[in-house]
Formats: sequence, structure tokens, C-alpha cells
Amino acid sequence: MSFRNALLAATFGVGLAFASAMGAQAADLMAIITPSHDNPFFKAEADGAKAKAEQLGYETVVMVHGDDANKQSQLIDTAIARGAKAIILDNAGADATVAAVRKAKDAGVPSFLIDREINVAGVATVQIVSNNYQGAQIGAQEFVRLMGEKGNYVELTGKESDTNAGIRSQGYHDVIDDYPDLTMVAQQTANWSQPEAFAKMESILQANPNIKGVISGNDTMAMGAWAALTAAGRTDVILVGFDGSNDVRESIKQGGIKATVLQPAYRQAQMAVEQADQYIKTGKAPAQEKQLMDCILITAANAGKLETFALAD
Amino acid sequence: MPGSSPLKRGIPAPPAAYPPGPACHRAPCAGSILVALIAACLTLSGCKVVATSEKAQSSKPGVGAPDNKVADPERMAQEVWGAKVLPYLDKKAGPFPEVMALMHSAPESAANTWGHRATEGAPPVVATRLEGRIVSADLASRAAVVGVDADGDGKADVNVQIGPVIRGTALRDALDFVSFDTFANQIEFAKFGKALNGQVDRTVLSGLPRENLVGRAAEIMGVFPLGNPNETPLVTPAVFKLGAAP
Repeated sequence: MSFRNALLAATFGVGLAFASAMGAQAADLMAIITPSHDNPFFKAEADGAKAKAEQLGYETVVMVHGDDANKQSQLIDTAIARGAKAIILDNAGADATVAAVRKAKDAGVPSFLIDREINVAGVATVQIVSNNYQGAQIGAQEFVRLMGEKGNYVELTGKESDTNAGIRSQGYHDVIDDYPDLTMVAQQTANWSQPEAFAKMESILQANPNIKGVISGNDTMAMGAWAALTAAGRTDVILVGFDGSNDVRESIKQGGIKATVLQPAYRQAQMAVEQADQYIKTGKAPAQEKQLMDCILITAANAGKLETFALAD
Repeated sequence: MPGSSPLKRGIPAPPAAYPPGPACHRAPCAGSILVALIAACLTLSGCKVVATSEKAQSSKPGVGAPDNKVADPERMAQEVWGAKVLPYLDKKAGPFPEVMALMHSAPESAANTWGHRATEGAPPVVATRLEGRIVSADLASRAAVVGVDADGDGKADVNVQIGPVIRGTALRDALDFVSFDTFANQIEFAKFGKALNGQVDRTVLSGLPRENLVGRAAEIMGVFPLGNPNETPLVTPAVFKLGAAP
């Protein structure tokens, strides 16, 4: 071999070795996709997932679908195209998500769902969801207790495409409907939105001035409703939310909103990443696809220990 | 459930296990065959309802939910109550003094011996039997509760739910032969839990008198979630025998 060819071959060999060394060091990618971070709940999920993934040595890309199923589908395409090893997903609607997750699965990218479940098994690898029903029950039990088991109340429900909206409402009613002296005078959706809940609460209050309590499907709606009640001088109204946000925590500490129910969002997101990591490394998924995490009642008694959807011991 | 308008019942639940389309029309037949199969299986001793997620991994193209999810949770609760739930709890139940002692010193051991933990995110639920005397009765709420003194010191060692409203899903969560995974979603899983509570209310608790309970002997077999060992356990009974007044 001529000296020049030998030099070329050696350079090429070194280049290859260098490239494969670089390849071995390039981290695997995890895609984290949630609804908009306007709601601190979803931001906490994304932060929790990102922190755990990076701790385990992954690169991450964090994206938001804004509850738009089409956008979600595009983001999943992006994750696949970028060679993500796993998708951590809080989805944009149960029915629409099945196809998107199946598409990822067929492309070799497993999905690990958190918070919102889908009604089909075998497409996502894992679904870690809060026990929304258990949470709604404990929230409703506290609501019933505060209401003295009687009086008129209003229910604000969440976005209908989100299975959690129906589950929480069912959980609330399975408790409250057993008390015949509690009467629901209005039930409206505010689509998880704070400004929408403000507007709805205003008009409901005008039509039903004699209400004693409001039970809300989540905390952002509870904040909107509380603002409307305060503006109308009705801080006597008993209001209970769901999620465990810092905003509602502050309101509880100040004696405004009475209670909420914590979904351990941060821990849930971290668990999903841990299980994704296990799956990537060993090919083994947990025996149960669907896993429930219990929710925790937050009142003035423990609100001080609540921070960004996690309860300190 | 008290009669109520659709509005009062909350948002209709999302479609349970089947997507819209022809599958829906087949669903009721598949559902009742499934329930019959489960019922047949469960009445045979040694039969177990197996978590189905592993089988479900093989995806059939074009089909929505696999047909191995529970189709009728209320009916399942009725069918498993006497045949499966009561014998299971009876076998599992530990003597109350032992359960409490181990709960303080080694809760994981208590859970393994007499209980079941559904998932990491939930406390384990243990089964226990105890005898004692009713020392208090809180009947003002529809979620009525009696305090039972098991060790004779005059103070309630457990609070026992006597209905008509029964809180929580401890009966369901104590069982190791059902899991969230065998149901299409949380709503169906919740219906099953509520239906089990309904079974105990209908078959045991609604027959209990509400007057002059304090002072009477009581023999109970029930379940409670392992929580703070310094808090009085809230027991959901599966068996409640009322004895004589002193």
C-alpha cells in the first residue's frame, strides 16, 4: 500500500472510530408532550419528566399540543422522525389519541401515558393515571361535610373530550347524590378554563343567588369561579377544586377556597420516565398497562406542605 | 341510586370499551357471554381472573378495545360477592390485635400477610376480623359509623361503616383477583367498587337496627387501608354480626 493510501486508510479508520465513539456517547432522546403549560399542572408534569429523564442520561424535547389532536399527531410525527426512544404523553383527547399512539408504536416508538387515559389497551405501553374517581370521592366527601349535608350547589365540569372530566363528575355525584338534601341547581362546563369559569360563575350566580357551594372539576376553573364569587361579594360560598395547584393552595391558606385534591403529577411523570427507561433498557413493560395513583385531599391542615403538585412529608 | 334526571347524574361517561360502529351492536352479546364466562370461571374453585394486558399486546388491526375487559361491572360485583369475595376475605382476614401490632412495627409485613396493594400509588388494604363492643354511634350522617372497642378499654379501636352511604373502595382494593387493568377505564372500575359497597349494604348493613346500638357486642370481618398507625382505622365490613346488649 502506498504511503498516501495508508495515511488515508488510517485517517478513515480513526474517523470511523471517532464517529462510533461519538455515537456511543450521543444520548437517547425522550419526547415529552403535554397540554399547554398555561396550566401549572401540565408544566409540573413536563418539568418532572424532563428532570428524571436527564437524570437518567437522556436528552429531552418538550412540546405542547394545546389540546389539539392534529397538533398532537404532528408532534408525535416529529418525535418519531427525531428518533425518540420513548414518548411521555399527556394526551389531547382519548379517542383521537389512539391512532397517534398506535402510529408511534408501529414505528417502534413506545408511548408512556400519564394523567389522561385512553380507552383502548395494547397501544400504549403504560398508562399511569391519577385515581380521579378516588380523588373526586374524597373531594366530594369533604364538600358534603362542609355543606353540612344540605343546601344548593353548582358543579363546574371539565372539557368533555378529556375522560377525566366525566370520571370526576361521576365520582362527585356518586358521593353527593346519596344526600337528598343537597341539590344541584346548575351544572355547566367551563372546559378547564379559568376565564371561562369566571364568566360562567358570574351568570350562574345571577340566575341562582341562593347557592351555598360550588364543586369544580379542576383548580383553574376553581380560581376563575372564586374570582367571580369574590367580585360578587359571595366569599361565603363553599368551593372545592381538584388538582392541587399552588394558586389554590394559597387561596386555601387565606381561607378562600376550602379544599382541593392533589394529583401527584410530578411523581407520576417521573414514574413514567422510570418505566420508559426500564423498557428501553430491558424491553420489559410492567405487567399491568394501567396503573392508578391515589390522590390526596388538601385542606388548610396540610396546604402548607404542598408545592408544585407534590406533598412534602 | 336515588332516582335522578340525566342532568343530575353528571356528564355521560365516555363510551366504555367499544368504539362507535358495528362493534357497538355486537358488544351486548359479547358482553353477556363474557360475564357468563367470568361467572362460570369464578364459581369453580381455583379459578382466577387474570390481568389481560399481556394478551392485549397483540393488536388486531382495525379493532378497538380487546373483548377481554369487564363488560358489566355491577353484574360482576353481584356474581362474585358470595362466590369469590367473601371466601377470599374470610381466608385473608387476620386477627385484629395481630394486624394492629404488625401495622405499627412492620407495615409491609402486615400488608403481605393479610392484605393487598393494588398499585404503588395506593396504600395496601388489609382484611381483619374482630370482636368487641360498640361504644359510639355516629348516625347523623348518611355515612353512618359505629366505634367498636376490641380490647376492652372503653375506647373505640376501629370505626366501622354501617351505611347506607359507604365511603371509599376498600372492599374492591383488597381483592387480588381484580385490577384496574381488567376494566376499560376508571369509570367502569369505579362502578365495580361502588357495586361491591352496594352488596354489603344490601346483604348485611341495611338490616342492622339504628337504635340502641351502643353497648351491644359486635363481631366484624372487614377491610381497611393501611394508613397512619396513630389514626383509628375506618373499617368497611363484609360481615357484621350484632350481639346482645350487656
